[in-house]
Amino acid sequence: MHIPDAFIPMGQALVYWIIALIFIALALRWARSSMKEEKVPLVAVLAAGIFAIQAVNIPIPWGTSGHMVGAALAAIVLGSPYAGVFVLTLVLLVQGIIFGDGGITVMGANIINMGVVGGFIGYYGYTALNGVMNNAYVAAFIAGWASLFISAILCAVELAMPARSRWISASHSWGRTTPSSVSSRVGSPRLPST
Amino acid sequence: MEKKQYIMIGIAIALVIAVAAPFIASGNPDGLESAFFSIHGAKDFQGDELDEDAAEAAEARAVEITGNDFSFDAPLPDYGIDGLDKPGEVLAVVIGTILILILVYGVARVAARPDN
Repeated sequence: MHIPDAFIPMGQALVYWIIALIFIALALRWARSSMKEEKVPLVAVLAAGIFAIQAVNIPIPWGTSGHMVGAALAAIVLGSPYAGVFVLTLVLLVQGIIFGDGGITVMGANIINMGVVGGFIGYYGYTALNGVMNNAYVAAFIAGWASLFISAILCAVELAMPARSRWISASHSWGRTTPSSVSSRVGSPRLPST
Repeated sequence: MEKKQYIMIGIAIALVIAVAAPFIASGNPDGLESAFFSIHGAKDFQGDELDEDAAEAAEARAVEITGNDFSFDAPLPDYGIDGLDKPGEVLAVVIGTILILILVYGVARVAARPDN
């Protein structure tokens, strides 16, 4: 789910970065008010484990693979959706800057998809389900699964936007362009759906 | 077991996973890459063979559509070290894990609520 730089136009990438920065600021505020210093080693070890586990791609039939994300895990273990944002932002920073895994301009989108969605749906899904079922592990499993499912859908929408926005700008200029130039832009191949 | 031991065990587990990762991780491209390449004809949807030239053309096409030609040269691209094969990959993931440990500890220390 690590989107590379080429896949989102700069304008949209900037919007995603702004949204991500808002959540990062909120995560820092959470840290200042609720993350006790004694928890810091746990946060660091959790982040290291999440980074390592993200390197373990699990094969999926038909030529692809996936890996665990860990935002829901961090959020549930540390007791706040912002913990997911906090940890995943740092993991994504290292992955993007040191290893080229995931782009830099598009990192805002990646932080939203994995950190924010993973953290929030993971944490609130878990607390909601844990309230109705007696099994914390099943609740965590379902919450974690749901967070990834929504993350993937959001990722797909973000990747489809560039083609859509070209179509939208083409349709706005119908009055000024000839039909053939509009259809040549609308007909461009769509970006991937996952 | 006191807390310090838990932390040590946690770090050990993270490092074990880091060392094992290059060996047990699947070489298949992840879902995003797989879908992208197969839509652009660089890869069979169900296969794992990548046609390098078609892949490059596909990436160029993506840049064309989005206009985002930002490129960045990461020091350890794709979790590998130039010249060292598997050991290079192991080293890369281990370096990343240790880097995360230090970075997150540092940032969390500064950002946390002080115990008074």
